[in-house]
Amino acid sequence: MKMVEKILARAGGRDRVSPGEIVVAEVDGLVMHDLSAYLTSRVYEERVGLPVRHPDRVTVVFDHTFAPATEATADVLVHDRAWARRHGLNLYDCGHGNIHHVVTHGGHAVPGSVIVGSDSHTPVYGALGAFATGIGNDSHAGMVLPYSKAWFRVPETVHVKIDGKLRPGTTVRDVALWLVGEIGEGGAVYKALQFEGAFVETLTFWDRWLLPLITIDVGAKCGLIEPDEVTERFLASLPAHRAYQPVYGDPGDVSECWSYDVSELAPQVACPPTVGNVHAVDEVAGLEITWAELGGHGGGRIEDLRLAAWVLRRAPKHPDVRFNLVPSSRQVFAQALKEGLVAELHDAGATFFPPSTGSNQAVNMGALSAGERMISTHARNFPGRNGSSKAEMYLGSALTVAASATRGRITDPRELVAGEELATVAAGGEL
Amino acid sequence: MTADTHAAATRSRRAGGPCITFGDDVNTDVIIPGRYLVSIDPVELAAHAFEPLGEEVQRRLLSAKVVVAGRNFGCGSAREQAATALLGAGIEAVVARSFARVFFRNAINTGLVAVECPDAVAAARDGDAVSVDHGSGEVTVEGRRYEFAPYPPTLSAILDAGGLLPYLAGAEGAQR
Repeated sequence: MKMVEKILARAGGRDRVSPGEIVVAEVDGLVMHDLSAYLTSRVYEERVGLPVRHPDRVTVVFDHTFAPATEATADVLVHDRAWARRHGLNLYDCGHGNIHHVVTHGGHAVPGSVIVGSDSHTPVYGALGAFATGIGNDSHAGMVLPYSKAWFRVPETVHVKIDGKLRPGTTVRDVALWLVGEIGEGGAVYKALQFEGAFVETLTFWDRWLLPLITIDVGAKCGLIEPDEVTERFLASLPAHRAYQPVYGDPGDVSECWSYDVSELAPQVACPPTVGNVHAVDEVAGLEITWAELGGHGGGRIEDLRLAAWVLRRAPKHPDVRFNLVPSSRQVFAQALKEGLVAELHDAGATFFPPSTGSNQAVNMGALSAGERMISTHARNFPGRNGSSKAEMYLGSALTVAASATRGRITDPRELVAGEELATVAAGGEL
Repeated sequence: MTADTHAAATRSRRAGGPCITFGDDVNTDVIIPGRYLVSIDPVELAAHAFEPLGEEVQRRLLSAKVVVAGRNFGCGSAREQAATALLGAGIEAVVARSFARVFFRNAINTGLVAVECPDAVAAARDGDAVSVDHGSGEVTVEGRRYEFAPYPPTLSAILDAGGLLPYLAGAEGAQR
């Protein structure tokens, strides 16, 4: 059996399962942000009204709002907070960071577990070797909260084998964006994508993270990476985590394998209107930008801040660009303080925002006026998602975003790299 | 869900009426923009369904009973309100070449019939009469018949009940 089948079989109390079967599985973790918790809690209180079976498995992170800007939002947070406390759920209030980074740092997701959330990027926990996928608020309210159960169709597994060594200026985020273009939006609908190969094995945990993150954008159900020493080391570095039993697929059980080599890959940019509209950076270089942001699901890691500092040491920030830095967690901000990056980036003219999900959907920051253009590490670029539908969001790596912030236009970071070994810049020690 | 659509979904396995057609990769930000997500009321959500595509599309939506779409319908976010908004607009079924999986899941859980039937999609023109019978696995377009693989029994039972919550309430009631 394949890895995802073994996880679902175990969670469903079955000896074996096959792709296409419906399994009712025990859920080990449910994650919600401030918006989805509000919807789920209202459905739960109005239509279900049962006790929560395993409150310790439910985690609520206020990440769309780092501080409410309207009375209506304040009302939502007060409601969520009271609901989470009443049921004894894990609650991370405003200022803790991006939902998935916070859940990961909190040790709530572990290898072999089943994690659901009504955020479409929930599959990212596959980086730990978990089965994780997005579901809606009725599912949570109806099954997960009172019974710790959810139904799943067992997905077919595609092994995504990545080999090669990146050239200077190209990063793992570029690989991830490029894969969305290669596989295509809807190119892997319902499937489990298992990332493997020499390239994947050499990556740090937080770089691996970027791969399952994009599975939703190709329509896949989940993305997985088999746990190994990198995973073990990362978990051991956390102050606490849930107990776990890792799951591995049977060696050689491969039905479908897509192979990629990233050795010649150029930095990539996803252009409006969708994440799948991916181009090599030189095809869009020169487009003027007014905002640049490191943050959201795809950025705001310590690696990203290190790269930004490295770029701003070589070229000053362009005066007409607002450069937002949104640490993905309090741990990242603390580490950036320790490394002197906060003072350095502040002095270079960038602006730090509280740990949160930043400009995602412009809930508490990041609205754009018609004609404005932002380049960011965010996960989505649909028109109208950040203010005007006539504004444009471009998605790139932290390096491309920072390079663009120095020129006031989308910039090929290789112009600043000049053959330097960037891997060492990003890797100043794992978090 | 309005009382009417709920009752219709519960009683019959056949849904249908005039259709509205869309292309490939219709995302959930188009179906229901993120700024309206604080609501769970189907009618309130329906007022903003497909708002980014303009008033003409919104008017056609309200006179339609079936949405016909291309590949990967409902891609993007996990928001369940994408299905709820369609139900609120009086849509009884969505026929697509394929669905984004979270949308498909949310449709079943909210009692919205969602079937994959590429031949019917190819045949349907905007405004055509389209019906879907998820029990027998048949879509008709202006009387022409097209087949699709019927749902697994569990999913059919959830749809028959009108969604996941009524299904679970019924199962719970039956056990007692």
